[in-house]
Amino acid sequence: MSEGYNFGQLNALVVDDYFPMHEIMRGILKEFGVARVAEATSGKAAITELEFFHADIIFTDYMMDDMNGLELIQEIRAGNTPANRFVPIVVVSAYTEVREILAARDIGATEFLAKPISGKLVYYRLRSIVEHPRVFVEAETFFGPDRRRRELELIEENRRLEEYEYKKAEREKIRPT
Amino acid sequence: MSDENVGKLIQPPNKLSNKVTVGGPGAVDEAALERAEQVIGDLSESYIDWAREDLTKIQTVFEELKSSGGDSEPLDGVFQISHDIKGQGGSFDYELMTIIGDMLCRYIEGLEGAAPKQAIEVIELHINALQAVISQQLKGNGGAVGDQLLSGLELVVQKRTKPS
Repeated sequence: MSEGYNFGQLNALVVDDYFPMHEIMRGILKEFGVARVAEATSGKAAITELEFFHADIIFTDYMMDDMNGLELIQEIRAGNTPANRFVPIVVVSAYTEVREILAARDIGATEFLAKPISGKLVYYRLRSIVEHPRVFVEAETFFGPDRRRRELELIEENRRLEEYEYKKAEREKIRPT
Repeated sequence: MSDENVGKLIQPPNKLSNKVTVGGPGAVDEAALERAEQVIGDLSESYIDWAREDLTKIQTVFEELKSSGGDSEPLDGVFQISHDIKGQGGSFDYELMTIIGDMLCRYIEGLEGAAPKQAIEVIELHINALQAVISQQLKGNGGAVGDQLLSGLELVVQKRTKPS
């Protein structure tokens, strides 16, 4: 492994209404040396948290009561919260259908991370965000990272999807028909 | 024309890269990656407790669904809990929880808002299968028992969704 990144000055906010995810993400991010990890259980609670917590990156669940992940992203990108409008936001969700990934992208998410997660997958997303900062687009109906991703990123995205589909097919293959 | 074509392109201040450095004490190395994986391994015992809590919750909401005759509100409750179950299992080597949770979510999505009597029975079978995975601690693909659970569920879903 080439020299790794040092996240010692980073503040991360984890937004999820499922308490075990807080424990998992907190544990993983602490192992990566992230300075501070704050947690919130809904989009609304996250906005309150952001009043005094300067998040450098936000990991948010998709489906939550009291403001879901997409509504939270919309509020942040619209500048209706104390957060930096450009803050990288990773949607972490078990909603892994293409339509949901596209919905997250179209509302201004930076990255998508499918549950179930692993430490390595979280690191790869962090690395991707650091290495490929995205230009933002400000238009009448959209404010967020440029959705026209570089070819290489698309290839990588496809590779991940293929890997997922392959694993799924492998699982199905071992079952009797 | 897309927003990207008509909108203004902005190079955002890269606050992240200002804060993230390469190397030095505390930088992520192979050992840190392994420890991060181990975080999940260390939470395995907690996972069983969380899964049991989820199963208790889903059973309670399922009873509401049954007594309501298949109302959309408890149906949505069952969906949300099975969605959480789907999102966790695989992290802790309980792949079957993720697969069955996903099957249940997809089945409920296909119901369009309410559950007729037959659908309630199918949902119950999924919940029973989830209970079996945890009570028998069926890790990974669950071997022969896992195969039986999945193929049995698939068969039932196929039968119940076939046009009569």
